[in-house]
Amino acid sequence: MSSMGTTGFEITVNLIKTVLVFLMMVQAVPILVWLERRGSAFIQNRFGPNRVGPLGLVQLLADAVKFLNKEDFVPDKANRFLFYAAPVFALIPAAIAYMAIPMSVPLIIGDSKFLIQGYEVNVGIVFILGISSLAAYTILMAGWGSGSKFSLMGAMRASAQIISYELALGLSIVGVILMYGTFNLTEMIQQQQGPLHFTGFGYESYIPWLPNWGIFFQPVGAIIFFAAAFAESNRLPFDLAEGEAELVAGFHTEYGGFKMLMFFIGEYGHMMIASGLMTTFFFGGYLIPGLTPNDVYQMGLNWFGSETGANIFNSVAHFLSYNVKFAIFLWIFIHVRWTLPRFRYDQLMDLGWKTMLPWALANTIITAAIIFAANYFVL
Amino acid sequence: MPLGGVIFITAFIAVFGVILIFLARAIGGMAKRSSKAKMEIYECGIEEIEKKDTKISVKFYLTAILFILFDIEIIFMYPWAVNFRNFISGGAGAYVFVSMLVFLAIFIFGLWWEIKSKALEWD
Amino acid sequence: MSADAFLFWFLSLLVLVSGLSVVLLTNPVYSALCLAMTMVGVSALFVTLNAYFLAGVQLIVYAGAVMVLFVMVLMLFDLKHETQAFTRGKITGAIKIASVGILAGLVVGAITIGKSLENIKAVADNAQAADTTKILSENLFLKNVFGFEALGVLLLVIAVGTVALSRSKGGTHAK
Repeated sequence: MSSMGTTGFEITVNLIKTVLVFLMMVQAVPILVWLERRGSAFIQNRFGPNRVGPLGLVQLLADAVKFLNKEDFVPDKANRFLFYAAPVFALIPAAIAYMAIPMSVPLIIGDSKFLIQGYEVNVGIVFILGISSLAAYTILMAGWGSGSKFSLMGAMRASAQIISYELALGLSIVGVILMYGTFNLTEMIQQQQGPLHFTGFGYESYIPWLPNWGIFFQPVGAIIFFAAAFAESNRLPFDLAEGEAELVAGFHTEYGGFKMLMFFIGEYGHMMIASGLMTTFFFGGYLIPGLTPNDVYQMGLNWFGSETGANIFNSVAHFLSYNVKFAIFLWIFIHVRWTLPRFRYDQLMDLGWKTMLPWALANTIITAAIIFAANYFVL
Repeated sequence: MPLGGVIFITAFIAVFGVILIFLARAIGGMAKRSSKAKMEIYECGIEEIEKKDTKISVKFYLTAILFILFDIEIIFMYPWAVNFRNFISGGAGAYVFVSMLVFLAIFIFGLWWEIKSKALEWD
Repeated sequence: MSADAFLFWFLSLLVLVSGLSVVLLTNPVYSALCLAMTMVGVSALFVTLNAYFLAGVQLIVYAGAVMVLFVMVLMLFDLKHETQAFTRGKITGAIKIASVGILAGLVVGAITIGKSLENIKAVADNAQAADTTKILSENLFLKNVFGFEALGVLLLVIAVGTVALSRSKGGTHAK
């Protein structure tokens, strides 16, 4: 409890902040689904929903109301407790893990410092990985609790896929940890400030027109991480376990109404975690390329004149920068879903074990070798 | 680490989810007209047949066990990766690097053997 | 009650209740899920002891890998017969009473021995525990390198043994 603030006021504000981040995640789902339906429609050369509200934006609200009106239905052979518990549990790991991702520079008002994230975890990435690995329980509870063999087999295949790609995910991050030497996400972002510079082999080099982002140091790691993140959130091209033509709807065959919406909130939550982590590790997080947070603070001082105004401007500008990168990755997720065909299940498992794991291992070894050589040998 | 915050938000989300489910039940109504066909699970229209002696493939178990093993090996790489630069500046860089290379060699040998022996074939 | 004490009691209660549920519930899948909850609770207890990395590792390996294996395998089998097997009968009743007695004895013994060790304080305050990951890695890679490599070999042995076990006669992958 102590790191949630010292005074009563700070603790309350921090707790309300976690609730706000959770509601932000839930609120982002209708926007993402709208983006997905309109975006997929434009990719497939048709109109998407465009009747309800301007540009079809209210479509999801109408859908939510429709889902609320559906009959609440539990099949005969289902296990009632697990059948109801699985959608509720779907929200929990995604939300808890997303709150550890820093979204902006901390807001300093007077004496108190408010972080623009749910809470800060000093072993950030280990915590996020641990909590995301709990997502396998949602699928297993839903699949077994439905009492149907289709659901059970879909759940088994989905959880086998998730645990296989967790290996590649965990291993691709080792390269990033080698580079930055910390688990803490905020420190990783702070090390990505300034222009691209490489220190080693006895000399330093600067490339002034490129930012010091992680993607230039770990390109292979970024690709492996991004692909493994697709498999973690059961998105196409890896969604055979819930693919329509194969297993009806996989582990959520027997679900209808609002409970199914809660599964989708969980799936989009995992997508958001993956996008957030991609921007944090490889694209500088909330940093604006070319400007350090101090520069932005000075700009704010020039415009607003007061420290509070400059701090607010600083946080807001960086929050916008984070959101732009975050939205780009979410759009890439959606775009890839409607572009690539689905993998067959054995191709999927082969890819996870026989291709991604060796590549991630090679990436780790080569990164470690370069860091070691850069510090020992002088060219 | 904000443990109190994590527990608070977990409890909040659980309560939020339960309230949503109750809301859905209240507004949508519980299953009123239940007929035999509606309560059965989905089977593409055919009635479900339960076979007695179905053998369950052992590949789920194999995948999970191999995942545990390789996960433990990856866990060992995390403290090494975090402190690699510290070890180098402390002077023990070569020792730590070579010891991890030996460990990785065992890991890679295990992975290669397991791929070669077709332990993870999904037909 | 301070926040730390409240957290400790709440988490201990959670771990004890889920631990007891593992043994007392009849449905095996429920038992496995309660065991997973116990692992998560133990991970939270590690956090209160400032072992942050170990808490994350407990989550990743125990709650996220080992218990997923348990739950997956238990869900694949139809366990109605096993669910009924140990719930009734005289011998079952005797075993239940005996195990409650042994548990009570262990708890009383732990409390009395713990009281006699009260004066020995472990080093767990914030300032010294700030860099536990660094101390852990120093111990692991500099002082206990042989144990670390032996662990790699042990994991390899487990992998080979599992594959051999899965190919035993009568199974789906039998050679």
